[in-house]
Amino acid sequence: MSKISYSKEVIRDLIEGKLPWSQTKSIISGYKDEDRFDKYVEVLQEKVAWQEKILLPLTHELYIVQKGSDRIVKCSCGQEFGDYRVNWKLNALIHVRESEEEVKELYPYPSAPDAEFCEIREFYCPGCGTQLWVETVPFGYPLVFDFLPDLDTFYAEWLKRPLPSQKEFTDLTCDFIAQNWAE
Amino acid sequence: MGDQRDIVLIGSDAGGTMTDMLVVDKAGEFIVGKASTTPRDQSIGFANSMIDAAEYWGMDWQKEAKNYLPGIAGIIYSGTSMLNTLLTRTGKKIGIILTKGFEDSLIHERGIGVHASYGYQDKIHPVSHIHNEPFVPKKLIRGVTERISMFGEAVVPLYQGEVREAVADLLDRGVEGIAVLFLWSYLNPQHEMMAAAIAREIMKERSQEVPLYLSCEIVPITRENSRLNALVLQAYGAEPAREQLFGIERMLHQDGYKHPLQVALADGGIANIRYPALFKACFSGPVGGILGAKYLSQEMDMPNLLCTDMGGTSFDLGLIMGGECSILREIELARTVLNIPTLVMDSIGAGCGMYLSIDPESKRVDIGPDSAGADPGPVCYMMGNETPTVMDCVLILGILNPDYYLGGKVEVDWDAAYKAIKEKCADPLGIDPYDFAEGVLDLINVRMREHIGTVLSVRGYSPADYYVIGYGGAGPTFLAGYTAGLPFKGVFTVPWAAAFSAFGCAAADYLHRYQKSTLVALPPGSDDGMKQFMAMTVSASWAELEEIAAREMEEEGFKREEISFKQVAYVRYSQQLEDVEVISPLPRLVTAQDMDKLIEAFEETYSRKYVHAAMFPEVGYQIFEIGLLATVSRPKPLLRKYPLEGKTPPGEAEKGTRQVYFGGEWRKANLYEMDLLRSGNEVEGLAVIEAPSTTMFVPLGKKVIVDEYKRCWLKEV
Repeated sequence: MSKISYSKEVIRDLIEGKLPWSQTKSIISGYKDEDRFDKYVEVLQEKVAWQEKILLPLTHELYIVQKGSDRIVKCSCGQEFGDYRVNWKLNALIHVRESEEEVKELYPYPSAPDAEFCEIREFYCPGCGTQLWVETVPFGYPLVFDFLPDLDTFYAEWLKRPLPSQKEFTDLTCDFIAQNWAE
Repeated sequence: MGDQRDIVLIGSDAGGTMTDMLVVDKAGEFIVGKASTTPRDQSIGFANSMIDAAEYWGMDWQKEAKNYLPGIAGIIYSGTSMLNTLLTRTGKKIGIILTKGFEDSLIHERGIGVHASYGYQDKIHPVSHIHNEPFVPKKLIRGVTERISMFGEAVVPLYQGEVREAVADLLDRGVEGIAVLFLWSYLNPQHEMMAAAIAREIMKERSQEVPLYLSCEIVPITRENSRLNALVLQAYGAEPAREQLFGIERMLHQDGYKHPLQVALADGGIANIRYPALFKACFSGPVGGILGAKYLSQEMDMPNLLCTDMGGTSFDLGLIMGGECSILREIELARTVLNIPTLVMDSIGAGCGMYLSIDPESKRVDIGPDSAGADPGPVCYMMGNETPTVMDCVLILGILNPDYYLGGKVEVDWDAAYKAIKEKCADPLGIDPYDFAEGVLDLINVRMREHIGTVLSVRGYSPADYYVIGYGGAGPTFLAGYTAGLPFKGVFTVPWAAAFSAFGCAAADYLHRYQKSTLVALPPGSDDGMKQFMAMTVSASWAELEEIAAREMEEEGFKREEISFKQVAYVRYSQQLEDVEVISPLPRLVTAQDMDKLIEAFEETYSRKYVHAAMFPEVGYQIFEIGLLATVSRPKPLLRKYPLEGKTPPGEAEKGTRQVYFGGEWRKANLYEMDLLRSGNEVEGLAVIEAPSTTMFVPLGKKVIVDEYKRCWLKEV
């Protein structure tokens, strides 16, 4: 079975949404290209101005990167959000829409969530002001920790090349809150 | 000058890849022609295919057509030009006027539209789903205020000023036709008629004439979304196709053909190419085979017949029960759901052109879902494809004769096929290429066999009640494989299997199918008064449809007394989602007892289609649609009987031997020419029976018996 592989240009166009649909569809429906992850990360790495190695993309703008012996969340603008096992949202700027007026400003009826029941939280990067994420949850609900990847297992067992230093795979968000905001 | 033949009928089927031609003479002898389909101008493919066919009777068709065409009674064409228009988006510029608020219907489309025509894996992965771009852009769609209720009452009047504005605006934008569709117009066409009158007035004032397409005339049946799609198909795609058909007709008339060209319709009918609802002809090729099988079923006393059609991309099954086939009222075509009544067919992706690949993760052999078609075709075609296909496997196993593919007219490269299979599939798995190829055939046979089993068992039928006919270019090659182990009454193919769809078109009745929505409900315990009232409602609709049918068919040149009608009702148990097509035992329902007879016929059909225990008379009955079949008889191919001769094939039919890889080793197979086998002959496996357009494979342990109609029956030794 021949190895499936696409050129870096194709992967770049795929990331930027420039491929025609027929080609995107055939990539989606075909067998997974073996070197997709590495090419994908290479393309992303070329798009950012900083040098730290990207371990895994998190959102359109956020990446988990290797900084010294730490693995931190970093925005494409260079803003850092701390250890990847702490919910990065704690270190973002947050705008909450909780009244009906604030909700309707963006979402017309009937697309708007019920302002009696829940709020809309928008997360912005303190470095560049880019909107990084939006979540809609009931009032008082803790910040959602969307994605805590098991990086060591992924690198060791899927990519077959373990990361240099192991980190315990655990959610450190509560520890972070206890240490920094317990007062 | 070739043999003197009395050619009476020509059936032709332009598929996606090949245009097949079946020519029938007065004595009932057939010849089959094949040529590449030419989508831009289909008259070229038609002519080439005809030239190819005529050669077998030693005729030079280009020179001699004039001698034969004046005497031919009918030429039927089924083609793909309409589908091609949709796929290439080269239809007419159409404006649409809809009920206000429904302007985005084409954009929203049915949910199923986002994955229509996808394979199973893509269907279950929403990431690959996508909305289709509508054939008519939003700027050419206008909404006008009006509303007809579900009982057919005008609850909001038609705002005529808005119609004027809409028509003027669409004309300003240079549309080549205007389609009008209002909700529930099939129950009350008043508003559509008024809109049409206004449109005509405006066109007259502006001296700017474009055709109008009214849904109440073209698709007066329920299901708003697919109804709109069908109307758009008629306006957008059918008219350009009609121009191509006129091109073929002109060509034939120049050489003296005297009748109008006819087309096959998806519902199994045949119509003149001037037929208003020509969109029904957009899906006729695959239906042709079922029509052919239906004709054999009726003529040869095989009331239950399973049709199996294996071509390049799909394996299609059709069921003929008691000499009739069922109708499906919506189909998916070019990623759109259309309101086109179609003969029921169950298809899976299993064709001779399917690509083979090995899943890099699981090392599983995948067949399809895509097919190499005719361009680029299998690897052995040497037209640039390097991915092996099922056909390449058939070739390297020795089943296909590399020097006699399509009668030797298409060159195939054995070495290229072997190399591709070895390098792309067999080597990575570490197995012998021939074992791999044989394994692929087993896999695809199992897939087809399971499909047959499923289609029969979900309906509660037993193979023991059915005969099986195998056709399509690859049908006879795989017939023994996909029927193995199933206890059918009999399994056979015919020498003209490769052009069986074309044969079906030639054998079909001149039939138009009409449908109309209605509202008839018989709650449990309905009294005679209620039944009689409903009977009269149904009869009134039939009378209306007969009027339309007679008018249309008279316009096509038939006399009213030549037309025979079959009245149809779509009956269901109250609140059930599916209804059943019931042919009415009476031409008109007058009394309550007449209504009872219709219900009786429904329950008989229902219990045959499902099972007796599924009947549910306690809830009462509903009829939301009634129909009419209008038929005029036309000449059909004669099925000639030949005297039975001895079991041993004549020497001229023997073509020597070839090594064929079967059961894990190379064995000697006897070769025969199918056309030269005589009635009564028997051929024992291992054997290959070759015809110019197909190859029948007879495995070890099986034999073929040629009967008096030259049907080739596959039996156990």
